[in-house]
Amino acid sequence: MERKVAVVGYAMTRQASDIGVPRPIMLFELVKGLFDQMGITRDDIDTFVLCSNDFQCGRTISNVFEDTPVGAYMKDETKVEADGVMAVMYGAIRIMSGLYDTALVVGNSLGGSEFRPYLIMDYQLHPAYDRQLGILNEPVTAALQAKAYMEKYKITEDHLNKIAARLLRNAAKNPFALRGKEDATPEYIASSEYLYEPLRELHCYPFTDGACAVVLASDKRAKALTDKPVWIKGFGDSIEGYFLGDRDLSWSRSAKVAADRAYRMAGISNPAKEIDVAEISIKFASQEPIICEALGLFPEGSGAEVADRGLAEIGGEMPVCPSGGGLGAYPFSAMGLIRVAECAKQINGEAGDIQVKDVKTAVAHGQDGFCAQHNAVMVLSSEEG
Amino acid sequence: MKAGERIVAHAVVPLDFTYNYRVGQYIERYIKALGEKKIMAVKCQDCGRVFVPPRKICGTCNRILDEWVEVGPEGTIEIFTIGHVKLNKGLVEKIDKPSIIAMVKLDGASSLLPCVINGLDPEKVKKGLRVKAVFKEPPEDSLFDLDHFEPVG
Ligand SMILES: [Zn+2]
Repeated sequence: MERKVAVVGYAMTRQASDIGVPRPIMLFELVKGLFDQMGITRDDIDTFVLCSNDFQCGRTISNVFEDTPVGAYMKDETKVEADGVMAVMYGAIRIMSGLYDTALVVGNSLGGSEFRPYLIMDYQLHPAYDRQLGILNEPVTAALQAKAYMEKYKITEDHLNKIAARLLRNAAKNPFALRGKEDATPEYIASSEYLYEPLRELHCYPFTDGACAVVLASDKRAKALTDKPVWIKGFGDSIEGYFLGDRDLSWSRSAKVAADRAYRMAGISNPAKEIDVAEISIKFASQEPIICEALGLFPEGSGAEVADRGLAEIGGEMPVCPSGGGLGAYPFSAMGLIRVAECAKQINGEAGDIQVKDVKTAVAHGQDGFCAQHNAVMVLSSEEG
Repeated sequence: MKAGERIVAHAVVPLDFTYNYRVGQYIERYIKALGEKKIMAVKCQDCGRVFVPPRKICGTCNRILDEWVEVGPEGTIEIFTIGHVKLNKGLVEKIDKPSIIAMVKLDGASSLLPCVINGLDPEKVKKGLRVKAVFKEPPEDSLFDLDHFEPVG
């Protein structure tokens, strides 16, 4: 990267099923709090990237009510409609262009209290085909994806339950997560009701309100803004075709392409060795092994072994989602942004009870669409290099 | 209003607002063929894959798909899920009788088609099971002319 970019500040709201305040107040308190904590004002921000979704907000051009609360009044401001990792990429690219030295990236979603996430996903279906027929919906597609992976690699529902239990235990230690359970066991997960087999209620993301803000800066400005810049070493994204029937759902080709791009840019040749912690965006427990394998964190088809041996635990070989990830909370547009902030926390040793030991390099992942049609991957590191 | 209760503005977005999507020649031809109990697909002349439902462009080869081929009406269940709920405007509702939703590989097709399988005990559904298309009689010139799939024989 010719011009280096760092994460120099971050803040997130508590993720909740009902955050209890209107969106502008939530955003104002979040961003003002972050500015105060960093000792800066909105004048220190050159460009603003907002991440929200018109359909989720129930109005067109969702950012018109968001720019003033986040301090973007009369400033350079733009919007990303997809996931938060993509918004951070966009912010980083704007700084890399040389036109800006600082960027504030803010994502938010009120899927817990304001809209119905599964209904919103219905409106992503092909309007002239799948939406007419009504066969597919988000949990159906996720169940089909789960079966494709599980049948190919001989993963059982017990393995899925282990993944979900681990994530809920992690989430219980994360004060920002919405849903956690300190003593979650595979049996506890198995006691929840099936939606579409093999997916049970506790394999699925909880409907979540939440927001996250991240300040990015060029290498020129980063050190003046923080003692502990977290460097964005590489990023990539990739999108598959829409039709599920065209895709091999037992793996994620686009997540692999996105990761390969990010790793090439970051100079990473052996992700399983060089990455210390991963924060990925999964909406269903079954997506975890698929995304982890696409990101090269575990070998292909290793979901059963990873779950049985606890390799993804906070103290494991490759900790995945110490925060609890998507089973702890899934505020749509803020999701990927939170993954980036969680990686920065881990690298800076600020993760409290969910801290992984000696984190230098972390990977954040975001997704959008059915069965993670669109994937974005970002590598972060304490080393400027 | 009880003490402590907040006022919520119910801003109704007209989700029933009708957008008049033109389905295009490809889905039109597909629907017409369903009326004759035929399932039509398109074949890419570069990569050779056969796509159903038919669409105009091959993403891999970035070219127009213009060779029409008939696929099915029989096929094989590749992936399936047993549904214990349904979604009603995004809300999860329990159902009494479990449903079977499958991705079926129609004979001659490369892609899989999302299908509802009827006439089969959910306990008996498995990968590799042969199924056949059941068409609506008389046809009504819609996608629903391909009503569902059921086991062969
Ligand atoms: Zn082709």
